[in-house]
Amino acid sequence: MIELKNIEKYYANKGVKSYILRHVTTSIKQGEFVSIMGPSGAGKSTLLNILGMLEEPTYGQYEFMGEDVVSLNERKRIELYRNHIGFVFQAYHLIDEMTVAENIEAPLLYKKVPGSERKSRVADILDRFNMVAKSDLFPNQLSGGQQQLVGIARALVAQPSIILADEPTGNLQSAQALQIMDLFKKLNEEEGITIVQVTHSEVNAAYGSRILHLLDGVIKEDVTVQQTV
Amino acid sequence: MFKLNFKIALRNLWKHKAYTFINIIGLSIGLASCMLIFIFIHYQLSFDMGFKNKDRIYRVVTNWKYSNYNDFSKGVPVPLIAAVRNEFASLEKVAAIIKRGGIIRIKDDAGRDIIKTREVVYYTEPDYFDIFDMSWIFGKPRQALSQPNTVVLSETIAIKFFGSPEKAIGKSILYGDNINLKVTGVFKDMPQNSSSPLDIVISYQTFNSKKYTNWDSVSSETECYVLLKDGVSLADLQITLAQFNKKYYQNKNIQGNQNNTFQELKDIHFNEHYGNFAGTTITKKEIYGLVTIGLFLILTACINFINLATAQSVSRSKEVGVRKVMGSKRKQLILQFLTETFIVTLVAMLIACVFTELVLPDMQNLFKKQVSFSLFGHPVIFVFMIVLTILVSFLAGFYPAMVMSGFSPALAIKNKVVANAGGLNLRKALVIVQFSITIILIIGTLVIMEQMQFLRQKPLGFNTDAVAMVNVPGSSYDQKKYNTFKQKVLQIPGVEMLSFCQNAPLSDEITTSGFNYNDRKNNDFEIRISKADENYFNLFDLKFIAGKVFLKSDTISGWVVNETFLKKMNISDPQDVIGKMLNAINGNGANIPIVGVVKDFNDKSLKEDISPLAIYAEKSEYYKAAIKIDSKQLLPAMKKIEHLWNNTFPDNVYNASFVRDNINNYYKDEYVMGILFRASTGVIIFISFIGLFGLISFVATQRTKEIAIRKVLGASTLELVKMLNGSFLLMVFFANLVASPLAYIFVSKWLSGFAYRIELDIWPFVLAMLISMLITLITVSIRSYKSAIATMIDTLKYE
Repeated sequence: MIELKNIEKYYANKGVKSYILRHVTTSIKQGEFVSIMGPSGAGKSTLLNILGMLEEPTYGQYEFMGEDVVSLNERKRIELYRNHIGFVFQAYHLIDEMTVAENIEAPLLYKKVPGSERKSRVADILDRFNMVAKSDLFPNQLSGGQQQLVGIARALVAQPSIILADEPTGNLQSAQALQIMDLFKKLNEEEGITIVQVTHSEVNAAYGSRILHLLDGVIKEDVTVQQTV
Repeated sequence: MFKLNFKIALRNLWKHKAYTFINIIGLSIGLASCMLIFIFIHYQLSFDMGFKNKDRIYRVVTNWKYSNYNDFSKGVPVPLIAAVRNEFASLEKVAAIIKRGGIIRIKDDAGRDIIKTREVVYYTEPDYFDIFDMSWIFGKPRQALSQPNTVVLSETIAIKFFGSPEKAIGKSILYGDNINLKVTGVFKDMPQNSSSPLDIVISYQTFNSKKYTNWDSVSSETECYVLLKDGVSLADLQITLAQFNKKYYQNKNIQGNQNNTFQELKDIHFNEHYGNFAGTTITKKEIYGLVTIGLFLILTACINFINLATAQSVSRSKEVGVRKVMGSKRKQLILQFLTETFIVTLVAMLIACVFTELVLPDMQNLFKKQVSFSLFGHPVIFVFMIVLTILVSFLAGFYPAMVMSGFSPALAIKNKVVANAGGLNLRKALVIVQFSITIILIIGTLVIMEQMQFLRQKPLGFNTDAVAMVNVPGSSYDQKKYNTFKQKVLQIPGVEMLSFCQNAPLSDEITTSGFNYNDRKNNDFEIRISKADENYFNLFDLKFIAGKVFLKSDTISGWVVNETFLKKMNISDPQDVIGKMLNAINGNGANIPIVGVVKDFNDKSLKEDISPLAIYAEKSEYYKAAIKIDSKQLLPAMKKIEHLWNNTFPDNVYNASFVRDNINNYYKDEYVMGILFRASTGVIIFISFIGLFGLISFVATQRTKEIAIRKVLGASTLELVKMLNGSFLLMVFFANLVASPLAYIFVSKWLSGFAYRIELDIWPFVLAMLISMLITLITVSIRSYKSAIATMIDTLKYE
């Protein structure tokens, strides 16, 4: 579903190019659960952002479901977000002024889903996440783990085919982190949603099916994980 | 500490160049407008305030009360002057001053005219100069005018006539046909802010006051000033005044319950009922109007400042946090922020001075006076500038300083401060206030423009095109030449018709009179009387609805009245009045038949209703010749008329004007008001939208994260722009709701000053709403579009 060929990203500063990513070539198939690992500054987040079309590569080819993303115009790109990609962030990035239910509903609004269907889908997902009681609360009234659950719910409500998660558990306590990772695994296995996550934690990475090790912008290792958990 | 504050302030301002620029420009335009208004008001308030005795000087004025209206005159009957002197023991001085105009000639030794000019002259008594102190270059006030046939001149006139004040003394000038006056004194020019600007003053004894004995005859050109004794107040005079009025108005023939009262000197410039010699009055209402506009301007500029400064405050939170951690007290922080505001205000004030200087000449033009408005002419203006700077610094700086210095250090240092929702609400409220003001002014401007348009286009009921009014001298010798003059004028190519008359159909030189109709005295109203020859009606295209024009005659042979006269008399059929006798008591005292009725035309400015009117022929009282000219040959014909005139009346000075221009002159105040409104509306719109731009910038910055999230969730640029704009449009819409009723009250009050006015409909309000919404949309969209297309991935990285 994702094909990367020779992706490069660098910032030119006073004629000196500082590379973030070099010659990244890989492909991710439907249904995979990929973890991107590596030390700080290795380019993990940048790679994820490129996958999520939040940043453009300086050079290289990126095909998403057979379409060349680099040449897409903004409107097309937004179409792709709306229909195929869900984002989960380390800092949750919920909209503070909106309630839990409203936050979850937001992507559906942009997808122009009709009102009644929106309501039922939001209700569905709240139910699945056991958050019905919290639907009218504001993000700052929730714990970090709960906020991240809302973040994931929001990513899922639009029924994406891929979830991109940037250190989804980075701000959470370990118990909550495990809960989130279990959820990811379940989504991946039961609903066949492709998941790409950036993580520091070996434990988290072990939930996935594949690990990309990044070092100084280069893929050093690409290993398939033996399911132990 | 101050030096450090100052340095940091400068750096901060420099760092946020765009904000600083917006702030300074908005503020300096506001300040400049305020200063212009202040200079103007200060000038107006300074009228007649330069005299030593100003608090003790009063003018005697005359009032009438008729059954359905009141009348006022700044003049008094001539015999009153002596009576006042006799009756009031608590008056120190009483002096008459009489305004006249005439031809002044200065001859050289050989008896030839060096100068021949029409000038305004005043007759007054030596006491006048005890009441009003003036500085003299030559001569002594008490002696200079103590003899008949003496005259004193202002410095300017002395130089104009004789070259210098020294040369003027002892010289003689010829006034009118045969009055020789000896120059006995020269005084310094009176200041421009004077209600009685004297230039040529002739001794009162030269004036033949003996022949005026009638208490019923009040000319507004005869004024009487009194100086109260020290320690006497106006209230002390009331009893004597009541007795005075009772004693001298016993004659039942005197109409309208005529009586006299005292008017304070400081009221003269501001009372439109009485007026003054200079012809310059400005009502207190207009002054208050200007003050309100000035306050509006300062308010909007300050609101801008507050909005922009609090908007910026979030980005300063870290600095506040660090300073607090280092031990800075809140007071010191407030002081630091106030220093910044003060610097901005000071810079804005300096720029405002430049703006003011640039606009002053235009303002002088607008008011068509030879007034030297000047920025540095008066220390008071300087004081005003300082006070304004300090006031604005506090008004605009205090709230942001309080907000910023109040940040909790723990949060501030982590950059976790979000400007609290309450703060945003206050800012929204301020923006609504700002826009309400703007919208009120937009509506006001639209209505004024519409009304002016209406006044210009309303048919007046008579022909105003290509008619020139030329003065004709009134002496009996000159009157004999009228016929030859007319013959010759009619031979000039392009001249179509000529009529001798007192005035054009629309004029504010009004003579009214009580009257008997069918030998019955009428007590309900007076009629306006106008004199014109038989060609007048044809020339001005006045339509008859009954009867016809009186026959050609040099004296009265018949009346022509207007429709309003019939309405007021409750006569429905115009044919009824034909042949009825009319006797205007103050006219000539004889019963004369009415021969015609003309359709109503506007005889006064459209601010007033049409008066009941009667016209008759009286050759000895024609002041003007109305000349209708083919508009294609207007200018050459006018030149020839002037030449002919100067040959026919060599001892007089030619003066001509067009009827259309004269009519437009009646709306000068409204014209000036229109311009003022348009200018201040422009300025306030500009300031408000600068503020709006600042606020949307703030909101956009504050919502950067939200915008980024929404973008990631799939929001398109258009949807984001719509989201950001929505609340602003709502705010401006709300401001419209607030402003419309207020504006309605203001404009309907203004319109009620016009007898002929537009129907106030919904359009100015709708238009103002559309204008304000449209400009808001444009202003806000510029900024929100920029936010919506920005790459915001950075904001979504770690916090």
